[in-house]
Amino acid sequence: MRTKASDRIEIRIPRRAEFVRIARSAALAVASQMDFTYDIIKDVELVIGEACANAVEHVADESCDEILVRFSLGDDHLTMEVIDRGQGFDPEGVGKSAGEADWDEPGGLGLLVIRQLMDEVTIECDPSTGTCVRMVKRKAG
Amino acid sequence: MTTPIKIAARSEDGEIAVLSLSGEVDVANAGQVRDAALKLVAGGTKHLVVDLGSTEYMDSTGLGTLVGLHKRLRESGGEVTIAGAQPRVKRLFDITGLTQVFRLYEDVSAALKEVRG
Repeated sequence: MRTKASDRIEIRIPRRAEFVRIARSAALAVASQMDFTYDIIKDVELVIGEACANAVEHVADESCDEILVRFSLGDDHLTMEVIDRGQGFDPEGVGKSAGEADWDEPGGLGLLVIRQLMDEVTIECDPSTGTCVRMVKRKAG
Repeated sequence: MTTPIKIAARSEDGEIAVLSLSGEVDVANAGQVRDAALKLVAGGTKHLVVDLGSTEYMDSTGLGTLVGLHKRLRESGGEVTIAGAQPRVKRLFDITGLTQVFRLYEDVSAALKEVRG
C-alpha cells in the first residue's frame, strides 16, 4: 500500500535522554490514528522509546546532536524510522535471542524488545550517513 | 524536563530492603533508580525487593539497571526480586527472557515472605 507524502510525520529531538519522552508522546499520538489496539499503540510508544534511547546511549560521536523520528502512515501498516548521524553499534546478531548475551550487549535489550514487538525491523549503520532503525507494524487482519 | 518518577526506599530488616518505583522508568531516570539502590546496597542490603506496583512504564534501560543490580547482589549472596509488576511491565520481562533471571511475585508482601524464607 502506497503512503502519500502528506501521511508522513517527522519530528526532530535533541539527542538527550530527557527528550526521548517527547518522541514517545508523538508515537502514541500517531499510532492512535491507525486503528491499532491499545496494546499495539503502547508497543509503538515503547519501540520508539527504545530506538531513541539506543541513539542517546550508544552513539559515541558527540557531534551527533539530533535524532530524526519519521512516521509513515500506510493504509494497513505504520512504518517508523529513527535516524541519527552517529555510527551507532553493530546490529548484527544483537537483540535476537532473548538470552544472556543480549542482556549485556550495548543496546541488546532494547533491540530485543523492538524485534519482539514489531513485524519488520531493519537496521542500517553507515559511517557516512549514520544509523537508521526502521520498524514496521501492520494492522491485524 | 524529566520523566516523572517517585522513588521510595525503605529497609525492612537487616539485609532486606524495598525500593518502590512509581511512574515511569526510562533512559532519562534509570540512573536515579540505580543510585537509590546502590545507597541501600552500601548500607548493607543484600536482598532488594523492587516494587513495580505503581510503575506505569519501563523501558530496557530500566530493565538493564535491574539486571546490573541483580548481578551485583548475587555476588554477595543476595538478589533482586520483583513485586507487583503490572501486565505491560510484566510483558517486558517475558519477551526479554528475564523471567528466567528474576523471581517475580504478585506483590511486596508475597516477595518479602519468600525472601525471608
